[in-house]
Amino acid sequence: MFNDLDPILHSQLRLSIVSILMTVDEASFSFIRDTTKAAAGNISIQIKKLEEAGYIKVVKTFKNNYPNTSMAITEKGIAAFEDYVDKLKKYIYPQA
Amino acid sequence: MDKSSISPEESFQLIAKTIQETKKRFEDNGHLFLFWGLIMFVVCLSQFVLIQLELYSIHWYPNFLYPLGAIYTFFYAFNKYKKKKMPSNLIGNILASLGWMLGLNLMILGFFFSNKLGEAIAPVFLIFMAFFICISGVTVKYRPLIWGGILLNLIGLAAFYFEWQYHSLIMAVGSVVALIIPGILLNNKRKRADV
Repeated sequence: MFNDLDPILHSQLRLSIVSILMTVDEASFSFIRDTTKAAAGNISIQIKKLEEAGYIKVVKTFKNNYPNTSMAITEKGIAAFEDYVDKLKKYIYPQA
Repeated sequence: MDKSSISPEESFQLIAKTIQETKKRFEDNGHLFLFWGLIMFVVCLSQFVLIQLELYSIHWYPNFLYPLGAIYTFFYAFNKYKKKKMPSNLIGNILASLGWMLGLNLMILGFFFSNKLGEAIAPVFLIFMAFFICISGVTVKYRPLIWGGILLNLIGLAAFYFEWQYHSLIMAVGSVVALIIPGILLNNKRKRADV
């Protein structure tokens, strides 16, 4: 039914992650986990899919011997999100 | 949480809810507004009392609370954004830069150029503060801050009509109107949202 919608974004958790990244410069993995309240394993899988699509860039570093993952949305991700929202509007308000 | 068969309406709701949740995490809990309001109130009221007691040589001593407040604010912000890994965003960066620039300049003006500004120093302080508080209120869409800023602006302009001996008292009133009351309201709003 919603074939035109970007399948990468048309998933609850991936859409949540991208929505968060649209409002911040960059976010840590823990911030994403606390905000989405999703399981860490699930978030990791979705982040990988978004990264593979080129929608986000992920930086993995070490801080005090602990892994520190942070991510930010890319230009491609912003364009995809805006396109997704435009298409959503057409579905919801077809006559507009 | 992940499911693919969400409707467009659900998608919209999800986007709105997530952005709202992210914004909520950025909302200041009013702590810093209340903190600076109380510092300003204590400093200004002490100065007013010292002036009334004609202790002119020491009436500016309470001003040293301001640099202490700046040190506390620095560590508070460091703890909140660096240690807890809070992400930064454009609005937050603009407000923080504006706040630090304003605060540091007001302190430099107060400590080193008060003789040049003369009796205009208190009204100028109030007007500059009003500018920052009003902008903060508009960016976070919080009416008590907007109204507090507008009232402080008017108080600052009105201060030009009063003798300098009353300027400290006027600034104390300004701190209640523009910082303490909005700070308490913002705190209460946050607490209600957390319930």
